[in-house]
Amino acid sequence: MSEKVKVVPCSGIGKVHGLLARELALKVANELCAEITETPCLAYIVTEDPEIKEKIARGKCVTIDGCPKMCAAKSVAHAGGDIAEEIKIIEILKNYRGVQPGNATALNDDGWKIVDEAALKVAARVQQVYEGEV
Amino acid sequence: MESIGTKPPTTPVKVGVISCSGEDCLGGTISRLATRKILERIRLGEAVTICLPLFIAGGEEERAFAAVFPTITVDGCNKWCAKRATENLSGKVSDTVLVADIIGAEVAESAVLSTRNLTPEHMGMVDKVAEEIRVKLDRLADQNRR
Ligand code: SF4
Repeated sequence: MSEKVKVVPCSGIGKVHGLLARELALKVANELCAEITETPCLAYIVTEDPEIKEKIARGKCVTIDGCPKMCAAKSVAHAGGDIAEEIKIIEILKNYRGVQPGNATALNDDGWKIVDEAALKVAARVQQVYEGEV
Repeated sequence: MESIGTKPPTTPVKVGVISCSGEDCLGGTISRLATRKILERIRLGEAVTICLPLFIAGGEEERAFAAVFPTITVDGCNKWCAKRATENLSGKVSDTVLVADIIGAEVAESAVLSTRNLTPEHMGMVDKVAEEIRVKLDRLADQNRR
């Protein structure tokens, strides 16, 4: 597959979960899988502008959502994107019970540890999606 | 007895601030951080926000946001995603802030930034954008006193 995988986090602004989703996406897309991914702006997807709809329609998407409202997954699907994987921060946090990862403005060391560990798993998944193993 | 000329007390309404938080360029990171700064430090309790994609993922209550609150959108670049999405899906916005106008379009459209890599220079950009939001927010709060 040659189309880059679109990694789309919710970037929710009210809770740390949104920042975890955002930083996880940036770690995967800018560092671990830079050659095979891109991060189209979710707000642009929400506008449903024909340019972004056309871009989203090419290749696969991996969404990363902070809370059960699933804003990224629903918005990408609404704009016609093909979602190969829906990552849920609340599921990831089940492995870190009791940990306080920071707030919606800044992560603390525990928050960055969660991002770094989860990013390795998400990057592996993104690689599979890129290679068509989904 | 009420004295002549006494005006009834007025209370400022809360002002909505909606950030684009774009993931594709620096302007999106700055819009998000400046909005967060307004919400949690500069106008704590006076500003409210909503996740922009909730206009699609949420219900009627979320979509009524811009009808309920006088709203300022904060956009990273001249695609104006927060303003356009809010006006398409919620209601007319009362004012706008464009990060690209404040820090320059070229800088705003440079690579997206993780908060892990924030520098004092970036924080200076956040401060400038937050100040622009504050001025517009205070003006709107004054205009909308109840
Ligand atoms: S206004 Fe620009 S930075 Fe913000 S979401 Fe839209 S394209 Fe991205």
